[in-house]
Amino acid sequence: MEVLRVAEMSKNFGGVSAVSGFTMIQKENEITGIIGPNGAGKTTIFNLITGVYPVDSGKILFYDTEITRLPSHRITALGITRTFQNIRLFRNLNVLDNLRAAYGVKTRYTLWEEMVRYPTVKKEEREAEDLAKSYLVYFGLEKYSQSFPYNLPYGLQRRLELARALMANPRLLLLDEPGAGLNPKEIRQLIGTLLKIQEEKNLSIIIVEHHMELVMNICRTIHVLNFGKKIAEGKPEEIQHNELVLQAYLGDQV
Amino acid sequence: MAFYLKVLEITSLFTILVLGAYLMTGLTGLFSLGQGGFVSIGAYTAAIAYLHLHLPFPIAILLAVLMGSLVGFLIGIPTLRLHRDYFLLVTFGFGEMVRAALLHLAQLTGGALGIAGIPQLVGLPAILASIVLITFLIANLKRSRFGRNCIAIRDDELAASLMGINVYGHKMKAFVLSSAITSYGGALYAFLIMFIEPNLFNWLESAKLIIITFVGGVNSITGAIVTSVIYYSFGEFFRFVDVWRDVLLALAVLFVTIFRSGGLFGSWEFSLTKLLPGKGRG
Repeated sequence: MEVLRVAEMSKNFGGVSAVSGFTMIQKENEITGIIGPNGAGKTTIFNLITGVYPVDSGKILFYDTEITRLPSHRITALGITRTFQNIRLFRNLNVLDNLRAAYGVKTRYTLWEEMVRYPTVKKEEREAEDLAKSYLVYFGLEKYSQSFPYNLPYGLQRRLELARALMANPRLLLLDEPGAGLNPKEIRQLIGTLLKIQEEKNLSIIIVEHHMELVMNICRTIHVLNFGKKIAEGKPEEIQHNELVLQAYLGDQV
Repeated sequence: MAFYLKVLEITSLFTILVLGAYLMTGLTGLFSLGQGGFVSIGAYTAAIAYLHLHLPFPIAILLAVLMGSLVGFLIGIPTLRLHRDYFLLVTFGFGEMVRAALLHLAQLTGGALGIAGIPQLVGLPAILASIVLITFLIANLKRSRFGRNCIAIRDDELAASLMGINVYGHKMKAFVLSSAITSYGGALYAFLIMFIEPNLFNWLESAKLIIITFVGGVNSITGAIVTSVIYYSFGEFFRFVDVWRDVLLALAVLFVTIFRSGGLFGSWEFSLTKLLPGKGRG
């Protein structure tokens, strides 16, 4: 089953080609990696898929539905959520509310009903809270539920962001450098967590990452970008020996 | 005694306006200098409906609220997609535009002479009841999904929309609701002060609403109300400090922003349920 199909997607920023003619297919229940040197356009690809920027040309299909021109919140509602390279939590909401803010079930009441606190409102609030709490337990954050996110250690902030993305009930998860700033032990923990949630929730995951240990261990397919263009695609062991990839990372051998 | 009652009435009335600003600026992070426009729209709509169209008082008030909401909606369509600074400028322009329009539509509004002879149909009980009701409604919003989404938008619009929150829709709801509350306050003003004129609420007054919201703490409705009461009544009780009033206020604002950037009340809220023992989560 095809989760995501990106066809010939391009984006220029004032004459600089950030992504050009990028094509990829994401299969269900697979973890895919996108790697490449700094500035290769990896994060831009995520921003294009999630509607942060409009694409210049190309098409994006999610479960055969075209999402190319949709606003971000609609894309999220369809089932794509993400994390950010620089953590972007809601600083004025506590940890529990950060999760509840991402609650992926459509509101079933009007603004007026919310103002007078109808029973449906209370019920849904409780559902959101229960789900949020279960994620806090899952990620070992339960004792921080009333803290504010930026008082948490860095590694826990990353976990919280991952939990928040899951709270939106995604079918496809985009992780932008989930391993950035983590120590080797935390990286191994992250690998374990990702494999576990992928299996338990039948998720498809795309990871943008610099950290080779992470990518090579869990990705079935890897796409390599350089200057906005895809220069290689394949299994981890193929990528490791690909001439173009080595050149992009290490430079030409004299 | 009558003097203190008058001070209390005006203070409470302005607190309604602060609540309107709280919803928009405090909760959602939309900075508007055009609140005065909505006060005027509410006041004039209610006064004209009552005096010229001879509609009953409650209908006049309702009409004022509907008019304020409608104008809020229309202004919101193009402006709520703008970036913060531009939104501020456009709402500033809107407030001044309303003022100019009221001056020049003299046949309807009496121009610079304003509208006099409005009966006093509003007293302290009605205003206080309104404050309680509005506070109840806003507090419910704040502690539920809508409020969380508004705070999320204020903190990080991009992240909010990527977590599935309809940023534009939420801003619109907050803006229209705020306009409704503000024009309601304006309508009450007309029937309390009995005289309205185009300059009744200029952009500086609108700016004060924002300042009060910030000094009280953007995460605290309690803070907005308490600060509003202190600010507006302080001015009257301390007439003797005269011109130094504004200096004192400016100093207070300066100290709060430097030493308590979360506002006087931070995110603390007064809660009835916490006062009553043995109550579970509300």
